[in-house]
Amino acid sequence: MRRNRWLIGLLLATATFALAGCTNPGVTAPSHQLSIGATAVPDSMDPTTNSNAAIPQALLYNVYETLVKLDGDGNIRPLLAQEWTISNDGLTYTFNLQPSATFSNGDKLDSDAVIKSIQRIQQDASVTAVNKAEMSVVSSVTAVDDNTVKVVLSKPSNTWLYSMTGSAGIIIDPAHSDDLSNTPAGSGPYELRSWVKGASVQLQKAPKYWGTPARFDIVTFRYFSDPNAMNTAMLSGDLDIVSNLAAPQALSQFADTSKYQTIIGTTNGEIVLGFNDSKAPFTDIRVRQAINYAIDRKALMDSVWAGQGMLIGSMVPPTDPWYEDLSQTYPFDPEKAKELLAEAGATDLTINLQVPTLPYATGAAQFIASQLKDVGITVNVSQLQFPDVWINQVMKQGDYDMTIIAHVEPRDIVKWADPTYYWHYNNTDFQNLISQADQTLDQTQYIDLMKQAAKTLATDAAGDFLWLLPSVIIATPDISGIPANAVTESFDLTTIASKSG
Amino acid sequence: MPVARALLRRLAVFVASLLVASVVVFGLINLLPGDVAGVILGSSATPDAIEALRQQMGLNVAAPLRYLRWMGGLLHGDLGRSALSNSPIGPLVASTLGVTFSLVVLAMIVAVAVALPLGAFSAMRRRRASGTVVSALSQLGMSVPAFLVGLALVMLFAVKLHWLPANGYTPLTQDPLDWLRRLVLPVLALGIVQAAVLVRYVRGAFVDVLNQDYFRTARAVGWTNRRALMRHGMRNAGLQIITVVGLQLATLLVGAVVIESVFVLPGMGKLLLDSVATHDLPVVQAIVMVLVALILAINAIVDMAYAAIDPRLRSQAVSDADEEADE
Amino acid sequence: MRRHWSLYVGAGLVGLVLLLAAVSLFWTPFDPTHVDPEARLLGPSWPHLLGTDGLGQDIFSRALVGARVCIQVGVIAVAIGSVIGVPLGMAAAASRSWPGQLIMRAADIVYAFPALLLAILLAAAKGGGSILTAMTAIGIASVPAFARIARGAALQVLSQDYVLAARASGIGPVRIAVSHVAPNIAPVVLVQASVSFGLAILAEAALSYLGLSAPPATPTWGRMLYEAQQYIFSNPNLALWPGLFIAVAVLGFNLLGDGLRDRFDPTLVEVR
Repeated sequence: MRRNRWLIGLLLATATFALAGCTNPGVTAPSHQLSIGATAVPDSMDPTTNSNAAIPQALLYNVYETLVKLDGDGNIRPLLAQEWTISNDGLTYTFNLQPSATFSNGDKLDSDAVIKSIQRIQQDASVTAVNKAEMSVVSSVTAVDDNTVKVVLSKPSNTWLYSMTGSAGIIIDPAHSDDLSNTPAGSGPYELRSWVKGASVQLQKAPKYWGTPARFDIVTFRYFSDPNAMNTAMLSGDLDIVSNLAAPQALSQFADTSKYQTIIGTTNGEIVLGFNDSKAPFTDIRVRQAINYAIDRKALMDSVWAGQGMLIGSMVPPTDPWYEDLSQTYPFDPEKAKELLAEAGATDLTINLQVPTLPYATGAAQFIASQLKDVGITVNVSQLQFPDVWINQVMKQGDYDMTIIAHVEPRDIVKWADPTYYWHYNNTDFQNLISQADQTLDQTQYIDLMKQAAKTLATDAAGDFLWLLPSVIIATPDISGIPANAVTESFDLTTIASKSG
Repeated sequence: MPVARALLRRLAVFVASLLVASVVVFGLINLLPGDVAGVILGSSATPDAIEALRQQMGLNVAAPLRYLRWMGGLLHGDLGRSALSNSPIGPLVASTLGVTFSLVVLAMIVAVAVALPLGAFSAMRRRRASGTVVSALSQLGMSVPAFLVGLALVMLFAVKLHWLPANGYTPLTQDPLDWLRRLVLPVLALGIVQAAVLVRYVRGAFVDVLNQDYFRTARAVGWTNRRALMRHGMRNAGLQIITVVGLQLATLLVGAVVIESVFVLPGMGKLLLDSVATHDLPVVQAIVMVLVALILAINAIVDMAYAAIDPRLRSQAVSDADEEADE
Repeated sequence: MRRHWSLYVGAGLVGLVLLLAAVSLFWTPFDPTHVDPEARLLGPSWPHLLGTDGLGQDIFSRALVGARVCIQVGVIAVAIGSVIGVPLGMAAAASRSWPGQLIMRAADIVYAFPALLLAILLAAAKGGGSILTAMTAIGIASVPAFARIARGAALQVLSQDYVLAARASGIGPVRIAVSHVAPNIAPVVLVQASVSFGLAILAEAALSYLGLSAPPATPTWGRMLYEAQQYIFSNPNLALWPGLFIAVAVLGFNLLGDGLRDRFDPTLVEVR
């Protein structure tokens, strides 16, 4: 016995060392702090030069503000512009700026800053193509006076004002725009406190904010490339909010309503099984229809995403005004699928399915491969590193047969009108509908044309619209003001409050 | 003097190895397909814009020239600039070093603290069931992936018991207590698996000692097993064990890549994986070079320490230790 | 009897894995990639012996195929490591001047590129991980270990009297290598192969966890473990089985390596 004492002592010392950290489990963050878990990791602090959705998630409406913003219900509301008018021909927009608006460092936010921000999007080579395209319709922007800006469009556009609520529309302090990738220069209620690459972004209350002051002193966005790690962080009490539960099978872990609230809504994330439409066998509509018939999307959503989400049948989420339920265009019918394949003479198809390394895509790929096998299509699944390799091979070079990706940008149905986009979908009827819709001045007609476009896309089986990603937010019970539907790219902190804080 | 010569020779080999390794790293990285400029500019960039950015990033220069530029920078302590954010890589990597070193050093301390007594115990009891149990446990510990141990620790201590945070990192300077709390589980996950490996070496080293004549003599004159082992064993087994510990630091450095992923620690491994995903080639290149240089340096230091301590033992013992550490 | 327990236990566990792999070549109870939305997340029961996963795939069938993939990864990795490493090690032993030194210095440099680091780079180079990149990386990274082991053992053989005699009588180095050195170092190489096999399985599991190995729809144990994570509360047995199989296989190869070492080299047997 005596012989073992030193050994036991050492073991105890080890244990004490291990437990040293456990002695203080009751330390909770002060109530004026907020800790939010997110899955997409920002790699820059500039939403105009980098299309990573994680950047506007943290910064839009919180650090950067726009002339107009999108509220939780998808309506356009005033922000830096207290009001605006549109000329009858739909070409001239006049914005009256908030006279009190300043940047977070106290500089005045005037017409000059707005003009420079818009021109920067148009002229700076590093700005993303998406933002440039959104701003391409602007032919001139001038100052009427210090607080009034006039924007003239080259043709009427229903989407321009809408896109001004996003990254393209942020107003940047022209005096401090030399290192935007690391140092934002915005006018929002929060300013950047620290950014640990790959790990967290910390915002702090901007003391000189021109509007309603921020409710939290410090807000931390913590990033988890592994959604399971985010769940365990929430379960261990380390997070106040999970901004989107990316592993919905874990939903049952948060069932205890005394500890958690679950807010389920919709997003703009249409998960599309994309076909390379200009490449055989997808040039044959019967093959595309057969695949649509062969996949049981309800069972797919149940299996891969725990039944969370929505079947939509086209590229339109229910929060858009032109939404219609098109999910029954091609109901699950494997026999019908086999018939169509036989008609098309495609009885022995082998198709490559190249999916990005994202949870919904890899899960859905296994399911789809199995169901297509049942109708006689052999599917070879391979995965491409996301984002770099997938974007390069599929999106840029269009070198793929089928792929799966969620398209999360708002109102991205218009991308199907671009035959050079990676689907290579070239349908002139659809393209005409989209361009007529954008230019019409009649809102009813606009919605009607968009509905026709969505229906055309569904009927033509341009892709297989698998399901719409849900917005599943988990929060502690004392938090309120989180909008159920994620209609913007922003995680808008201005509406969120904490009862204890 | 022969010691000094041996040291110098080993140093020269180290420098030459570094050079060769840098060529290998550069070659491997530049084989990666994909267009950084294209990825940065987003999904529908024009070819002109991509070309302009390629020019700006110096991607159109011939590979040998780019290598020389990179080496030139390295010699001045300049690791280059990130392709994504254009910020200098040096400070970026430096900010992750602290995390990885904390993890690796603490894990090694845990591993040694666990393995030393267990290994000694197992050596002394090698003919009894209890010794065999320790050996079997160490075999079992070596058979479980470290990330699985990590996940199990998280489930138990963070999710079920709420004793410790599940993941994340707080810098030591910001909050030392929270720094420790957040490191406990990753350190244990990495340390336990390493301890299982180390126990076997410790046991082997002590068994050697137990079979030596001086040990038998000490026992014969009435010393207790434990006293004899502490007196002679530690001293004689120490050198072997230190060698193995040194070489295993390299293993831990790589193990940290996975553990940092499990515990969302902003260390070098996580930066490496993130940079591979975002195709930030200059950062990938810099981190791989740093890791490889660290491993080469550890090996060189262990060799040189050996040469300095006991030139007679050097060649034989080091090559033995090398071979064992490979396992 | 006690001195060989690790050999027997190790051989038994390895035999079990081999048996599973062999069975999967001819028969699995279900198509391992067939999804069945009606039979998701079943516990162990008949006919799903180990239950089903989140997509309704049969876990036992997947585990059987997983054993095959596991053996395949190990065999290829060990083959790469030994086929390159052993001849190099023997050459280094034969030539004690600069070519031999150079080989061992090169091995030192490769040693500084551990399997995981190489695999991460190769996976990126190939645009996403595959079993092939994982096996290749693990194999290359094990070359130095084989080279060192082979060199050490070959040096011993080369100093034996009969080899010196053979050399003196003018027999060429290649013939000596083939007829004297190779057979005598084979046991040591076999031990190393068994240990490397276990390491390869562990490395593949870690790479699967990082999403850098098998693509979706390929049933490997590492991938099954990775996919089981999100069910770890509701259905822990999804993670239990692949974790258990990995541990059993690695333990088997480690014990087998230990047992072989004791058997082939009695001087190393500690219990004297």
